[in-house]
Amino acid sequence: MSLHSPPWELEGESTPSHATYVELFEDAPCGYLTTTPDGVITRVNRTFEKWTGHDRKTLIGTPFMDLLTASGQLFHETRYAMVLKLAGEVREVALTLECADGSELPILVNAIAVTGRDGQPDSIRTAVFDATERQDYERQLLLSRREAEASETRVRVLQDASSAFGAAESADALALALVGSARIALRASSAAVLLAESDGTLRLAAGDEETPALLDRGLLGLAHQAIESGEVVALSSLEQARSIVPGLDDALHERRMAALTIAALGTSTESLGVIICFFGRDRASDHETRDMQSALARQAAQVLRRVRLQEELEHRALHDQLTGLANRKMLEERLEQSIATSARSGRPLSLVFLDLDGFKSINDELGHRVGDKVLTEVADRLQGVTRAGDRVARYGGDEFVVVCDDADESAGAAIAERYRLEVRRPLASVPARYTIAASIGVVTWTPRTGDVVSADRLVRVADEAMYSSKHGGRDRVTSVTL
Amino acid sequence: MTITQPPPSASVLRRNNVALSGVATARPIVFAHGFGCSQEMWSTVAPRFESDHRVVLFDAVGAGASDLSAYDPAKYDSLHGYADDLLEILEALGLEDVVFVGHSVAAMVGLLAAVRDPSRFGALVLVGPSPRYVKDDEYPGPFEQADIDGLLDALDANYLGWSETMAPVIMGNFDRPELGEKLTASFCSVDPEIARHFARVTFLSDNRRDLEGVRTPTLVLQCSEDAIAPTPVGRYVHEHIAGSRFVQLAATGHCPNLSAPDELVEQIRAFLP
Repeated sequence: MSLHSPPWELEGESTPSHATYVELFEDAPCGYLTTTPDGVITRVNRTFEKWTGHDRKTLIGTPFMDLLTASGQLFHETRYAMVLKLAGEVREVALTLECADGSELPILVNAIAVTGRDGQPDSIRTAVFDATERQDYERQLLLSRREAEASETRVRVLQDASSAFGAAESADALALALVGSARIALRASSAAVLLAESDGTLRLAAGDEETPALLDRGLLGLAHQAIESGEVVALSSLEQARSIVPGLDDALHERRMAALTIAALGTSTESLGVIICFFGRDRASDHETRDMQSALARQAAQVLRRVRLQEELEHRALHDQLTGLANRKMLEERLEQSIATSARSGRPLSLVFLDLDGFKSINDELGHRVGDKVLTEVADRLQGVTRAGDRVARYGGDEFVVVCDDADESAGAAIAERYRLEVRRPLASVPARYTIAASIGVVTWTPRTGDVVSADRLVRVADEAMYSSKHGGRDRVTSVTL
Repeated sequence: MTITQPPPSASVLRRNNVALSGVATARPIVFAHGFGCSQEMWSTVAPRFESDHRVVLFDAVGAGASDLSAYDPAKYDSLHGYADDLLEILEALGLEDVVFVGHSVAAMVGLLAAVRDPSRFGALVLVGPSPRYVKDDEYPGPFEQADIDGLLDALDANYLGWSETMAPVIMGNFDRPELGEKLTASFCSVDPEIARHFARVTFLSDNRRDLEGVRTPTLVLQCSEDAIAPTPVGRYVHEHIAGSRFVQLAATGHCPNLSAPDELVEQIRAFLP
């Protein structure tokens, strides 16, 4: 019996009968039960019987957990039991009962562990409240909040992506930004962007370096499927991978991947590439994920078109359209750089100025079209014998200039001689009686301390040397040093 | 004044709230907690190895006193992210011949780490392991996808309803703003949003293919009447890890560390030389 007097006794009221206590317990406005410390039910009240539809005989001896739905059991075992054991009580834990008629009853549970005289847990007292209305209400709140958050997140991700993409000045920089955005937006273990080259092949521009190896194991086919269909292609598990592309499952598993999604950049007629997301676990492809990846892909594709166009324009601004060689503007920029580098390092710099002999008559007699062919052929030949790192430019009509870093007088002369021999070989684009040759001038500048030279002066001196060759009988090299 | 960066190992130990005890020179034993709790779940088991082991406890990122700012949703979208963390902890402490004891999902995390770098591990003790929680035609599960969705709802009902952001909305009904804090700040604290994500990762992963890659001596400890990882699942794990030992515990439920610590300690010790 309790050591304390009940409060109503202190207030002078009469002591309630035993029957009153029983009624208070049995018909309390909440379910009430006691269990062993391991959770086996030892006593229940009538309210709990009524709510669950189970009678007391069935309930006593049953673990409380067995009355819960499967999800409730998951929560009970991973959380509830643990906290109850460690903290000695749990309060207002939301669980769901499975009633005798198969219906489900959301409940809130308070439970407290009772310790015996020896300090060891003796039993657990549990009060159960019907939480149907509260749960519905709260769930609605939660769902609408989550929906609002999801759309807000989506907008933010796309905005962040948009500014990251906008800052990209090259296709590869854009690819890198897309990899970053996709990883965050889709919680992908890794991601990769493959860009379509001019010949249609896909090149890894940014992201997971394992991707090319996976392309060979069957991923390439899926990438093309994404490009051709315009739909997001997904493998949501290794099992699915095995059934669709046998072997790809093993390749993914070796790399600790279990699922992937692919979205095309651009359209099937104008394929710019693909963005691939890899996941370290099974990932069902839901429409939110697909929409997000498509949205990122669309945004990236727009920027990619702009960047490509810009790259194209920049290329055109600095290259000769006919031959594809650097144009005069690019030559000037390059020469300034080379002069600065030489001035710093003290290494010599040579400039080769080359003018074609015999080109004018071809152009006059066979027409510009043939003339253009000859120029292209010569340009290709010059490129073919140019040292790695040297830059050939078309300077004017039939004039070419080459900047040769780190080349002294003899190296400059040797390079020029190679060009001379290359140019005088018979041409494929004109009849054999038409021949051309090259008058070449070379200037070599060896900087001394504090020495500077202008790009104009180097070109002028090389040009004058070229004229010396021309006046000296053509098809020869004249070298000058500064 | 010079600012010295902490060595990477120090940041790893802080990230996972690593706690060391026992004999520094003895064989290391690492305890890893599963979903829903923190290193506190080992409070009745771990101290009993302190006399003859170097005892290592830690919190997974998102649980206990781990560094929540280290939570990268992309990294922790698979158990591999957690396995990488475990390997980093072992490396930071320079541990070898480790006895790894993992409960529930942590058993799989340790297994993935041991497959990736077997050189660190001497023994794996898998307590209530499951490589996949959802059943299919050939696999005992025991859950349906809908049950997992239901668990996420249960998590919502229990954490998010009382989480701080939700509190102002709820307070009209429940004049108890401290409730959320109590539930999370008392025992086995977990971040609600991370718990939700971790629940997906835990219960929707399929690591069956990884079992056959284990080369470390392995003990499977199977509880009786375990609703989360029932005996057929434990047997499946045992049958797919070559040379593993299977022990059926008398302990019931999913948490023998709490319900039967004596038996658990005894079986772990019996497995170790």
